[in-house]
Amino acid sequence: MADSICRTIRDGALEGEHAPSLTIKDTTASPYGFDVFTHVLSQTASLILAGKSQSRGLVVVAYSRSPSFYLDYLKRSGVDVASSQKWIHILDCYMDPLGWKHQLAETGILPSNSSADSCLFQDVKDINKLHSLILELGSGLVGQGKVRFSVAIDSVTEMLRHVPLSKVAVLISDLRSHDQISSIFWLLHSDIHDVRVTTSLEYLSSMVASVESLNQSSDGLSGDLGNLSLLEQNFRRGKFHVRFKRRNGRVRVMNEQFHMGESGIKFTSVTVEDGLVSQGLVPKVLFNLELSEKEKLERARVVLPFEHQGNGKPIQIYDGRRSLAPESMGEVSADTSQSNTEECSNGGGEIIYFRDSDDERPDSDEDPDDDLDI
Amino acid sequence: MAATKTRTTLKSSAVLMAHFFVSSGIPDLDKTLGGGIPLGSLVMVMEDSEAPHHMLLLRNFMSQRLEKGLRIAWQYKKYFGENQSNLDAQRDNKQYFSNEFDLWRPLDRHFYTTQHVDCISTQDLPNLAPLQECCTSFLSHFPSDSNIVCTGRIAIQSLCAPQCENSSMEWEMLSFIIALKTTVRSANAVAIITFPSSLVSPSFCKRWQHLADCLVSVKAIPDEDKELAKLLTGYQDIVGFLNINKVPRINTQVPAVLEATTLSIKLQKRRYLVLECLNQAPIDGSRGRSYGTSGSCSGSPSQNGSLDF
Repeated sequence: MADSICRTIRDGALEGEHAPSLTIKDTTASPYGFDVFTHVLSQTASLILAGKSQSRGLVVVAYSRSPSFYLDYLKRSGVDVASSQKWIHILDCYMDPLGWKHQLAETGILPSNSSADSCLFQDVKDINKLHSLILELGSGLVGQGKVRFSVAIDSVTEMLRHVPLSKVAVLISDLRSHDQISSIFWLLHSDIHDVRVTTSLEYLSSMVASVESLNQSSDGLSGDLGNLSLLEQNFRRGKFHVRFKRRNGRVRVMNEQFHMGESGIKFTSVTVEDGLVSQGLVPKVLFNLELSEKEKLERARVVLPFEHQGNGKPIQIYDGRRSLAPESMGEVSADTSQSNTEECSNGGGEIIYFRDSDDERPDSDEDPDDDLDI
Repeated sequence: MAATKTRTTLKSSAVLMAHFFVSSGIPDLDKTLGGGIPLGSLVMVMEDSEAPHHMLLLRNFMSQRLEKGLRIAWQYKKYFGENQSNLDAQRDNKQYFSNEFDLWRPLDRHFYTTQHVDCISTQDLPNLAPLQECCTSFLSHFPSDSNIVCTGRIAIQSLCAPQCENSSMEWEMLSFIIALKTTVRSANAVAIITFPSSLVSPSFCKRWQHLADCLVSVKAIPDEDKELAKLLTGYQDIVGFLNINKVPRINTQVPAVLEATTLSIKLQKRRYLVLECLNQAPIDGSRGRSYGTSGSCSGSPSQNGSLDF
C-alpha cells in the first residue's frame, strides 16, 4: 500500500532505533519502479513542506536522472520548489560521476559549467566521501541537533556499478543508525543483480516494495497478435506487493494494483484476497481441531451412554450382553430404548458402549484400578 | 559471592551422563533441549531476515550469567547500549537453573562493566583473525577440568551480515567457526552464533548447519493473517516461530526425539519470553528432521513453497 509506505516514512524513526528504510524493486517485466520511487519522493516532499513529517529536509542522491529532472517533477506534482534551497538538496551523481568531464575541462577540451542548485559529486567510487557529503548536506538543511532529514537514493543499482555490495551495505546501515536520519529509501532493479545482493538489501530494509507484472509468463512472448493490445494494456498495470517488518517481529503483507496513466502512477486496492502467501507458511495438518457450527450442533445431539440423562427419565443402554428388552425392566425400557434410537437416528451421532462386566453398576464412577492392592 | 553462586547452581543443575548443562536463559527452551545447552557445545541460530527474534534469544542467553564472565562479539557496537536486561534473581530458582528476564528493565551499567565482559565489533575488521584471537584468549580462562568454577559464554550476532567486509569470505568464516567449535569443546564454555541464513550461499549454509551442535531457526509470521488465526490458538500473542532442528548429543548415541520441533515465541506482557508448542500436529514425520530447507524459507513472496517443519 503506497499510502502506508508514505505514512511510515513520514513517521520516521524512534529514539534509539534504526530509521525505517524502504527498498523499491522492479524487474524488466514491470519496469515501473522509478515511477513508484518518484511517487514516494513527491509525497515525502509535500509532507516535509507541510511540516507534517518528522523529517525537515530531504537529500536526494541522484544517479540515474539529473537534478533538474527532479525539480521539474516535483513542480509538476504540485510541490512548491521555489524555496527548495531550504528543504531539499540533490546530490548530482549523474552528470559527471567519475570526474571525466572535470578532467577534460581542465585540459580545456570541454567548457566547464557549474550548476548552482545541486551539488556535483565526481567521485562515486569513494563511498566514505559520499557518506560524509550526505550528512553534511543534510545537516546543512536541518542544522545540528535533534532535527532529522530523509535520504533518497535514486538507484542503488547504479551505485553498485561502482562500489561493492559490502560498502553499500555499510553506507546504508550507518545512515540508518545515524541520529539525524529520519528515513531512507532507494530503488533497485532486482533482475540485474545476484540474488545475494537483493537479499542483502532486503535484510537491511524495514519495508520491501516490489513491482510485479500482471502476466505470469516470464518471457512475455505469447506470439499472438490478437492479444497484443491486451498485452499492452496489461503492461501498463501491475501488482504492488509490500512487506513491512513490524517491531514485534511480525511481517505485514499488503497487496495493491497500480496503473500507469498520463499523470503518473495510480494505486488501487485489490478486491480479491490473496491467500497464497499464508498457505505456504502453515504446516499442513492432519487433524482439524476446530468444529464448525453444524458439527457443534451434531455433537450436542449425541446421546451419552449414561443411564441417567439428566432429564428425569432413565434410559436403558444396550450393552451387548443382554437382550434388548429384558423382562425385568418391563415396557418402560422398550419405550425409552425406542426413543433412544429415534434420537440417535435424528442426530446421526451414536455412542456404542459395552460394559466391562455385569457387576459394574450403571453410571458408576468407580475406577477399576482402585481394587489393586499395591 | 560469585563462586558460591556457581556451586549452588551446579548442584541444582541437571547432570546427565556426566555432562554439565548451561542454561540458555529461556526456561522453555532448556526444557525442550533436555536440560539446557551442554558445556562445550556450539549453538547456531538461523535468523530470519524479516524478524529480530534472534536478538531475543541472544539477550536471554547473555543475561543468564552476566556476572560470570561473558564475551560479546557484536557486529554493531550500538546494540550494546540497547541490550539491557535485568537479572531477576528472586524468581524461578527452584525449578530450573535459569531465570526469567524482564527485557524492558535496564541493567545498571556498573553491573556489567566491572565484570569480565568484553565487546568487540567486527564491522571494520578486514578478516576474522582478530575475532578468533580474542575468542581463544577468552576461552583460555575457562579450561576444561572437573573442577568447574565458572563458565564462559560467547555470543556472536549476525556473523555474515552484509555490512562486514569479511562477509564474502566464506571459507574464512567457515574455518573460524571450526576453530571456535574445537576451542569451545575443550573449554568450560558455550558459544552461540546467529547468522542470516538467506545471505549465505546454500552450500555454505549447509556446512554451517552441520557444524553446529545445536541448531535452531527462527521465523517471522505474517501479521493479521486470517488463515493462521483460524488454525492457531493464541495467534494474537505469537510473534514468531522457533524451530529446533538439531539437539546437542555429545557423548551419547541415543537420539533425541522431541515432542515438538516447532515452538511459538510469545512475549508475555511484552517482557518475558515464552516458548510454547504449536497447537497443531505436523503432518509428515519424514519431513520433521530435515533442517536444510528451513533456512531458505524467508520472506520473499515468490517462495511460496510449503514450509518444511
